[in-house]
Amino acid sequence: MFPFVKKKDKQQSNYKPINKKLATNDKYIGQLFSAKINSDFAVREIVARYSEEKVAIYYYATIVNGDKLYKGIIRPLLENVGKDLKEVVTLESINEVNTFEDVVEHINSGKAIIFENGNDTAYSVDIAQFQERGIEKSENESIIKGPKEAFTESLNTNISLIRKRFHDKQLINETHKIGERSKMEVNMLYVGDLVNGEILKNVKDRIKNITADNVRNIEILEQHIEERPYSIVPSILYTERPDNAASYIEEGYIVLLMDNSPACLVVPITFWAFFHSPEDRYLRFLFGNFTRIIRFIAFFITVFVSSIYVGISTFHSQMIPPDLLLAITSARERVPFPLILEVLLMEVAFELIREAGIRIPNPLGPTIGIVGALILGQAAVEANVISPIIVLVVALSGLTSFAVVDVSMNYSIRISRFIFIFAAGWFGMFSLTGAFLLWMMYLASLKSFGVPFFSPLSPGYKSPGNNLFRKIVKKEIWRSGNVQPKDIKKKQTN
Amino acid sequence: MRKLKYSLLLSLITLLLTGCYDKTELEQQAYVVAIGVDKGEKENTYDLTYQIANPEVGSSITGGSSDEAPFELVTVQGIDFMTATATANSFVAKNITLDHTKVLFVSEELARSESFLRGMQGASRTSEIRRQVNIVVTKEDTRTFIETNQPQLETRPHKYYQLMLGRSTETGIVPQSTIHRFFQLTEGDADLFLAMYATTQGEDDKTEGNVDEYIAGQIPKEGGNPTQFMGAAVFKEGKMIDILNGEETRIALILDNTLDMKDLLVTFQDPINKEYQVAGDLSKKDETKVEVDYKKEGPTKIDVTVPFQLEVLAVPSLIDYTNHKKHREKLKESVEGELQETADALVKKAQEEYGSDPFYWSIYIRSQFKTIEEYEQADWNKKIWPNADVTINFDMNRIEFGKMLKDSDLEEVWD
Repeated sequence: MFPFVKKKDKQQSNYKPINKKLATNDKYIGQLFSAKINSDFAVREIVARYSEEKVAIYYYATIVNGDKLYKGIIRPLLENVGKDLKEVVTLESINEVNTFEDVVEHINSGKAIIFENGNDTAYSVDIAQFQERGIEKSENESIIKGPKEAFTESLNTNISLIRKRFHDKQLINETHKIGERSKMEVNMLYVGDLVNGEILKNVKDRIKNITADNVRNIEILEQHIEERPYSIVPSILYTERPDNAASYIEEGYIVLLMDNSPACLVVPITFWAFFHSPEDRYLRFLFGNFTRIIRFIAFFITVFVSSIYVGISTFHSQMIPPDLLLAITSARERVPFPLILEVLLMEVAFELIREAGIRIPNPLGPTIGIVGALILGQAAVEANVISPIIVLVVALSGLTSFAVVDVSMNYSIRISRFIFIFAAGWFGMFSLTGAFLLWMMYLASLKSFGVPFFSPLSPGYKSPGNNLFRKIVKKEIWRSGNVQPKDIKKKQTN
Repeated sequence: MRKLKYSLLLSLITLLLTGCYDKTELEQQAYVVAIGVDKGEKENTYDLTYQIANPEVGSSITGGSSDEAPFELVTVQGIDFMTATATANSFVAKNITLDHTKVLFVSEELARSESFLRGMQGASRTSEIRRQVNIVVTKEDTRTFIETNQPQLETRPHKYYQLMLGRSTETGIVPQSTIHRFFQLTEGDADLFLAMYATTQGEDDKTEGNVDEYIAGQIPKEGGNPTQFMGAAVFKEGKMIDILNGEETRIALILDNTLDMKDLLVTFQDPINKEYQVAGDLSKKDETKVEVDYKKEGPTKIDVTVPFQLEVLAVPSLIDYTNHKKHREKLKESVEGELQETADALVKKAQEEYGSDPFYWSIYIRSQFKTIEEYEQADWNKKIWPNADVTINFDMNRIEFGKMLKDSDLEEVWD
């Protein structure tokens, strides 16, 4: 609106044009990067053969490829002849830079900047080489049948992994810069002629509106762009599988990628995305649906088994078959705590084992198994602190919780479980039903970037019919209508 | 907004004031598995016996001290089931719950008196006693029955009742007799209610009879638990009037569509060699067809067709029924005839002695009246049933001969 204000702003910061004199520039850059104490900030001054002028090259020694620097920049400058610098330097990417702000940014992202005496344009050559690990197997979302590759911490590798899976000229990789101090790139991948414009705009706006000094990686970004930070359930899918990401892009979703995260974000998302595993689609129709049933049962058990046990046995003993009833009663006769406390005790103990199991250093890993199984399972029963059936109930609810693959959803489910246990301990099945109803109402009211949480099941949309169960691949005609893709037809019917 | 938030929070907090209302830990309850009702010393009081299961016996989870008895038996005087539990709590440490009651024993003495129906009212009112609980009439008083009843294999009483009642109703020697059905029939003011009949007192003069022509106590047997479940106590208008033996009970069950029974193992006289009997498994796959032709004047016609199947299990006379069509037809005729005869006798007894039917047939006539008053005026018990013209037709639509078609040829074996 007020371009002059903006301009003034820019000039105040590093929007300083480059001077023609090398010595002035050198002095200024030295100041910007604190060159005297910044030990890996390097300057190489040489005299270029083609112009007989003094040339200085600035870069961070730790993030550039030294070999490339020597072969692509220093040697050509010393040996080659040509009309101007662009002709002399043989590397594939060379850009002109005019302000110091750009200079700083380019140096920070692993480029070498060449200043020439008598030239008010600097040249930036990409010789970046950040250290990263190779592509490995997916650790947290492992599957048996299907691709095993996982994202790594390198943005370019990740994009390449997705492009490898989805060859479409309309697969667009849009970049936005976020962060005030450390400028990081957020890459949005989507199919231009599929993605819904409104959702795309919504996501872009949220990314643009981030006001933070530094957004280091995708995990932090997730918290910046989500709609309800206090909500019990996540509204963005976090996946480390490129095949999963590609399948969402194909459906008209948007994938967000950043450097430094071995995963991507998928938006907008529904409950079903948390419920599904990519393997469901790699398996044949019947087998895939079988695992879906198993997983659904696991969802149910992990949320409800403890609370139903508490509810029934403290309020509705008439619902338990007499054999089981007498068995539980006899076991409980020497237990000092009320039943709900017993359950809570063990649930908390299980959470402790889980938390400790994640944090424990690898060499000590086996200890946790011994302590967990022996101390908590057997000894607690033998000491009459808890009754054996509690071990069964809690083990069941703990074990089945691992069927909830997504990390965020896993936490939602586990927290909900405690809510339900308290609800059941209060009025039995009556209050448990009430709590469940409220919980369902809350979930149904949620939206992720404008898309209802339980859609396309409720509210109903045209969809590939891939909610609780899935159809055979041939019969998947539509894309998910709830994300309103521009082209809803997935395949031609004939 | 802030005000709304606080008022919402406050109203939620009031919910917490209720605390854990109704909460009882499992081990604070004493589970009654059987209730016995006897006549009390005074008029309209009852001796109520509660059989309380001991959870520590037989549950292997913790292996509680096994020298405790599997149950505790307490008897108190009272006027109904619920208040008597309070009295019983003066010496039973835990809260007595009737939720898991499996059987309601009633002594014959009480069942034959008028105060039985009064005492039963409590059972319909309380939500603790399930309506699926079976009523069992015992020949002796119920405390003696429960004490004497000592199953060797199922020491835990609830298991014993569960299995015993389940199996004996399956074989059809006792009817299913839930509290629900009792009230349904008694208040319907038509038909007879059949209750299981059982005893632990064997009779000395054992009458000779066929496999199931006994009532409980008459079965000649050796070993096992002294308890016998056999036959049915007949209730008319909430009062016991007679006992049906096992065979009659079975016939009544076959004729009644509202009661289930599975395989009936029965014996018939061998039609060719009358010294022997033929054993078979009788099963009824289709419903009994009851056609009622109500006539205001003159006798109502009731036509009953019972389709059944027979699987021959043993032919001790070794007559080859399998391969001879004539023999087969003879067997069919004789079986049908025999069943018909017993059924006719039972119908006659019901018409003349009882003045009501034990088959719940009044439901087939109800549709022929427009209002309840009309139906009540027609009076099933007094007018329609005793004068009805009942024809029962047994129709064997299949006969099977088991795995082996031929019996051994004795002549050749003994050669």
